[in-house]
Amino acid sequence: MKAESRLKKVLSAGQFAVTAECGPPKGADPEAVRKKGSLLKGVVDSVNVTDNQTGVVRLCSLAACALLREEGLDPVLQMVVRDRNRIALQSDVLGASALGIRNILCLSGDHQSFGNQPDAKGVFDLDSIQLVQAVRQMRDEGRIVGGEELSSAPDIFIGAVANPFADPFSYRVLRLGKKVRAGAEFIQTQCIYNLPKFKDWMGQVRDRGIDGKVFILGGVTPLKSARMAEYMGQNVAGMDIPEEIIKRMKSVAPKEQRAEGLKICVETIQALREIPGIRGVHIMAIEWEEAVSRLVQEAGLLPRPEI
Amino acid sequence: MITAERKPLAEIKESIAPYKKLLVVGCGSCVAECASGGEKETALLASQLRMDARKEGRDLEIKEITIDRQCVYEFIDQLADAIDRYDAVLSLGCGAGVQAVAEVFGRTHVIPALNTTFIGQTKEAGLWIENCRACGDCKLDYFADVCPVTRCAKGLFNGPCGGSKEGKCEVDPDTPCAWQLIVTRLEERGKLDAMEKVYPPARWSRKGGKGPRKITREDQRA
Amino acid sequence: MAIFFCRQLDAGQDLNRRSLEKELGSRIRFFPLPCSGRIEALHLLKALESGADKVYLVTCPVGACRYREGNVRAKKRLAYAQGLIEEIGLERERLELVVPSVPPRTTIDRIARDLLAEETKLAPSPLRVKERGEERRTGKGYRQEGVRR
Repeated sequence: MKAESRLKKVLSAGQFAVTAECGPPKGADPEAVRKKGSLLKGVVDSVNVTDNQTGVVRLCSLAACALLREEGLDPVLQMVVRDRNRIALQSDVLGASALGIRNILCLSGDHQSFGNQPDAKGVFDLDSIQLVQAVRQMRDEGRIVGGEELSSAPDIFIGAVANPFADPFSYRVLRLGKKVRAGAEFIQTQCIYNLPKFKDWMGQVRDRGIDGKVFILGGVTPLKSARMAEYMGQNVAGMDIPEEIIKRMKSVAPKEQRAEGLKICVETIQALREIPGIRGVHIMAIEWEEAVSRLVQEAGLLPRPEI
Repeated sequence: MITAERKPLAEIKESIAPYKKLLVVGCGSCVAECASGGEKETALLASQLRMDARKEGRDLEIKEITIDRQCVYEFIDQLADAIDRYDAVLSLGCGAGVQAVAEVFGRTHVIPALNTTFIGQTKEAGLWIENCRACGDCKLDYFADVCPVTRCAKGLFNGPCGGSKEGKCEVDPDTPCAWQLIVTRLEERGKLDAMEKVYPPARWSRKGGKGPRKITREDQRA
Repeated sequence: MAIFFCRQLDAGQDLNRRSLEKELGSRIRFFPLPCSGRIEALHLLKALESGADKVYLVTCPVGACRYREGNVRAKKRLAYAQGLIEEIGLERERLELVVPSVPPRTTIDRIARDLLAEETKLAPSPLRVKERGEERRTGKGYRQEGVRR
């Protein structure tokens, strides 16, 4: 049976899509991947697999996506441009398509200095937007960078990321437009805590008519503790966590903080459903994949539609 | 200029350990400008090495010479008279200078005293910053005279990434986000629409990878 | 001991240092500077290379530099020189910055005598060459004269 992108079908059918993230293990055991996959099956439409996130060596995204595909899930292959040159990147696109992986999310990647291999050479042969363009060209024209023809074109639903909270704020929407013109068909945003600022950004997105040209999924991450909230706000690049959220987390006893974090997350998802132009939610429950089904259920998004 | 920094003294000491007569050669160009290998720094290093040897009861005879440039044979030739009286040369030139000197005096051991670091400018007295990576394909005009190859930690041509915080790079809070600079400047010049186009993949072959690059000019050759 | 000092501290410094120079001979050397900011790390190292146990740099009081930041620069250069001698195992204390407090006016003679009177915990400089069991300072410090045993 020909592989298809469930994500693309759900979004094209006008349904509110749900995607989640799966972090591969720091080891070679495929069971770890299958286990996480089983927690997400039927709960979400598609599963992103991160690509050596924060420059930490993990089981590669391509292999993990292949494992999830075998389990009947619709994986989203995350590809960073930090570790591979254009030869390897385009080669992996062909490989992904051959394995029935139908979604690729193109991103820059966190700088290698943050990870466990800080002396590694950062490649950055292409940047994330050039990668989007390359994948689109491979799919639609059957050509690689430079124009040479492929023997058969890959079939990929192309995604990119957006961070409404990074600097310079005024330029962010322009850059989103650029990604869409380069070929991005769906966007997953950085996790949202500051709803007013996000709504402001979405307003600008709609003003430019970008919402009609690309499917935007709002990102969310449930907070596990007040300390996590503070840490992320201060140390993670491009993260905006308002004081009220941190105060709210602090106002409950440590034992209750996980539940409170989940509550805030559900509220955010529900708020996102009301924002025009938002076509889905992307849940990044890092090392807390068990929480995803609870979040999706409490947000009233189960069962997932039959497509 | 090319910038460099003096190697740790322990490393220099280890390299010169076998020698009793050392010619210490400074360079009056780039490394003088960044206060690492000019006449002053050469005299300081020589003084340190002499005192160090005397303290440890070692024999060490040192002569210092500073030539205008260590990367041009015309100046290196000025060392010809002195060089035979010494066992080795300790060079405070950049990597280019060290190698050129070694080439001219093939049998002499030329020891580098500096770590060559980058191409940069003097931002203020005592502060040098990198601003060029010699990519061989200068695109400064397109990027409002802010080099993304050098000053963006990820070398993005369609930046910024999502990691900048208050206009600073995610990798180093003291480093301004190059893309913030580019965008701001383009805005000021009313040229932000230049960013609408996707800047295509770079031609990294011009930066090297096929071994050392070279330039030839027939009109300049003998 | 070597004393680098700013000439602005004592207009009559040329005469005022003579009595100590007579008393101590080569055991004390004065180096007047037009401004302490004209000191170079190399001067300080050369003084040690010549066998001085201790080198002082006397600047004008804070805020009183005739050329504004000369004494600030002097302080930084001394610190830099201290780093350099530490690299070869010499004690930082062999170089010392002396900043007199604001007037009454003083003479270089008085400053030097006060410094001489201070207790020193430093051993004699290891850069002195021992000759037949006696201690002898080397002269110019450009070539190490053979150590005779």
